[in-house]
Amino acid sequence: MRRTCAVLGLIAVAAAAALLAPDAALAQGTPALRSYADPVGADSRLVVWIAAQLHLMFAAFVLAVPMFALYLECMGWRLAKREPATAARYDWLAHEMARLLPPAYSLTAITGAFLGFALFAAYPGFMGYMTNVFGPTFVVYPLFFVAETLCLYLWYYAWNRLQGDRKWLHVMLGVLLNLFGTIVMFIADAWATFMMTPAGVDQSGNLISLYAAVWNPGWMPLNIHRLVANITFGALLCGAYAAYRFLLAADDEERALYDWMGYTGNLIALFTMLFLPFAGYYFGFELFAFSATYGVTLMGGVLSWLFIIQAIVIASLFIGAAYYAWLGFLRIPGSEAQQRWVPAFNIILILGFMVWATPHTMAASIEESTGGFHPLLGALGLMAPKMIAVTLILLVLYVSYLLYRHAGRILTVPWAKTGSLVQWGLIALTGAAIIGLGIYGYFAPAHIRIQTSIWQILVLIGGIVVTFVLDQFLLAGARTQAAVRWGTMPRRGQYVLIALAFIIVWLMGLMGYARSAVRLNWHIFGLMEDTSAGAGLPSLGEAAIVITGITLIFFVLLAGSFAISGLSGGSKGAHGSERRAATAS
Amino acid sequence: MIGRLLRQLPLPTGAFLVLAAAYIALKLARPVIPGSVILLYMGFVLAGVVIHVTLTDERIRRFRDFFVPAAGEETGVRLQRYGLLLVLPLVVAWGTYDATRPSYAPPIEIFQRHPTAGDEVLSRIKVPDWAASPARWNADTVAKGKIVYAANCAVCHGDNLDGLGPAAEGFRYPIRPANFRDVGTIAQLTLPYVYWRLTVGGIQNQFNSAMPRWVAPADAPNATTLHTYDLTPDEAWQVIVYIYKATGFEPRLEAEVVDHSKH
Repeated sequence: MRRTCAVLGLIAVAAAAALLAPDAALAQGTPALRSYADPVGADSRLVVWIAAQLHLMFAAFVLAVPMFALYLECMGWRLAKREPATAARYDWLAHEMARLLPPAYSLTAITGAFLGFALFAAYPGFMGYMTNVFGPTFVVYPLFFVAETLCLYLWYYAWNRLQGDRKWLHVMLGVLLNLFGTIVMFIADAWATFMMTPAGVDQSGNLISLYAAVWNPGWMPLNIHRLVANITFGALLCGAYAAYRFLLAADDEERALYDWMGYTGNLIALFTMLFLPFAGYYFGFELFAFSATYGVTLMGGVLSWLFIIQAIVIASLFIGAAYYAWLGFLRIPGSEAQQRWVPAFNIILILGFMVWATPHTMAASIEESTGGFHPLLGALGLMAPKMIAVTLILLVLYVSYLLYRHAGRILTVPWAKTGSLVQWGLIALTGAAIIGLGIYGYFAPAHIRIQTSIWQILVLIGGIVVTFVLDQFLLAGARTQAAVRWGTMPRRGQYVLIALAFIIVWLMGLMGYARSAVRLNWHIFGLMEDTSAGAGLPSLGEAAIVITGITLIFFVLLAGSFAISGLSGGSKGAHGSERRAATAS
Repeated sequence: MIGRLLRQLPLPTGAFLVLAAAYIALKLARPVIPGSVILLYMGFVLAGVVIHVTLTDERIRRFRDFFVPAAGEETGVRLQRYGLLLVLPLVVAWGTYDATRPSYAPPIEIFQRHPTAGDEVLSRIKVPDWAASPARWNADTVAKGKIVYAANCAVCHGDNLDGLGPAAEGFRYPIRPANFRDVGTIAQLTLPYVYWRLTVGGIQNQFNSAMPRWVAPADAPNATTLHTYDLTPDEAWQVIVYIYKATGFEPRLEAEVVDHSKH
């Protein structure tokens, strides 16, 4: 309760800053004089950069975890009568994930308040303008934040009280928590995207329509991108937490539970990662449509090498997640038939990522320089082959999951052989269509190429949906040859989970930088130029150092908050009875 | 067949052969693949090999046991072990020497294919109505553009617009004249951007590109610099129309003309 009060106090401070500071800034005099201030004698841009990124990371975590924790809780609720033991496991898992929220929420509020202070103190002119445009949202935002806070603490602390017949009330609290959290994110996204794709104002920046300013061209794409990415992010952090608990587990039962938690976290992350590249392309598509300058800056210009780094980092993420998933076969006796596919998948994954990470322009010495585009690498460095590569990789990851579902199970439906043939035929057809569309798109003009990439995505999603539905019927009544032996995952799998958490945090830092850097010397693209001393872009090396620093700070703070959450008793205390119920299954 | 062969070999030997084969193939590829890209690719190949070797406990054990002499083992296995124990340190030693030996070559520089131009620059460039979209390009414009191209551009960019003009061989580092027939050049760009490149030439630094400035920038029509402005703005637009028409590409057009007041 004391923590709740502290968080509410911080929110009040942040809200007061949000409401009062602009007026103070506007009262200072001419725009030229009040544009920038140097409140702490440090590089203002660096301070805001660090504060904003840390706030976004904690906010992403506290927004995402309730989403899949609620989903898991509902799974348990649904099974409560039929399979009470399984239901108890789901409920334990959901609560275990939710346990990480209260301390992380405090840090979200602290970093948010710090960001608010830093922005208003260092950029009074800019924030004054933003307040003029978005004033009403600055009032509504804290209200939803408070509502989200109340729901979060009630949802978490009333978990054990609202069981049984009152579970529906608890689930409703979870729904409200997610609703308010999503609204909070959508409001903040409106401010961020207005800076990139301003709308609802005239050429002089005077507000014409607040609705249009909020629903600017970049708003919905960023909302979708962040929703999906946040879930990936939160799931991988939960996975890392589970890995940590697995490595420290005192007995097999605890190990089994945390193995299952890590598996679930990785599965959620992998599932959402399927959609992440496409959410990114959708966002990029809208940015390109808004201004071709964005396209050139991101893909061919000053940020083009950032995307090579991004490609390598994403590749590491997918490779790590796939490796963990393939290690998972070891939990299932009798999965040798499925394991035979892994070498082929491994080759496709590696070749795919070699294409995916091929730079369009080379860093070459005099001896290596061939002039212009390298005939092979220049061709692979374009969007069309990269789309083929990434879409096929996603297909392979999906097929890995299908095989995992089949591992240790014998199909009993009479049409099993035909069904399996049709299923594999459809998967092959999906792969062929993806390749065909990619080849067509390679030779087509840019605007058609973008459309073919959208069709590739639709073909992939269509293929996944159809074959997954078919799989549900195929597996109906399947005989289990050998149960999954939770807790037998090798320790190296746990280290992979922890590494994945570091990678996703670093990646998020990199993309946060890319999103801000692409505006170049504009606070608000095309409307308000950044004339401060920090208007230029840092070199990629400097940016990487800052991002690494932010990642380390984030993990130090997160580890501290997890340690605090562990003080509440962990598996031996408050959650001990739930764990016993869960392991009883 | 290769897979079967690899399976018959001890795991470390197979892993080494895969890595060596990938490296040699990348090294032997012509035209030369830059070392930075080979490093990138080898990182992925290594990741694939590590995944394969560590996917099961049994494979890890086989990999480890290979390096421990066992009684009664075949001579071939023993030779492979000592061979690897000899070759691997040598590879590392060579890599260390190669990375640290003095070199007089200029440092490797990251090159941007399309230098970044701010919106405040591009928005000042007004495309003439007759050049603004492919539908408005007429034969007369294309013909004039072809003459301008032949007189000024073809010597480097080639009669076929493929970057293989007679002077192209003179430029090597880091790029030679652009091949307009490649989908990665003009097909990716907007008309104002291409015009802007004609106003600035190879702007990144003097070693990066020999492209001269051909036309005065939009914000300083009477400016003079070291280079002579050989083209008038109209001639510049004509030649831009010509290179698009002759290659069959179309410029990237803004999907919508952004008018802030309409949103």
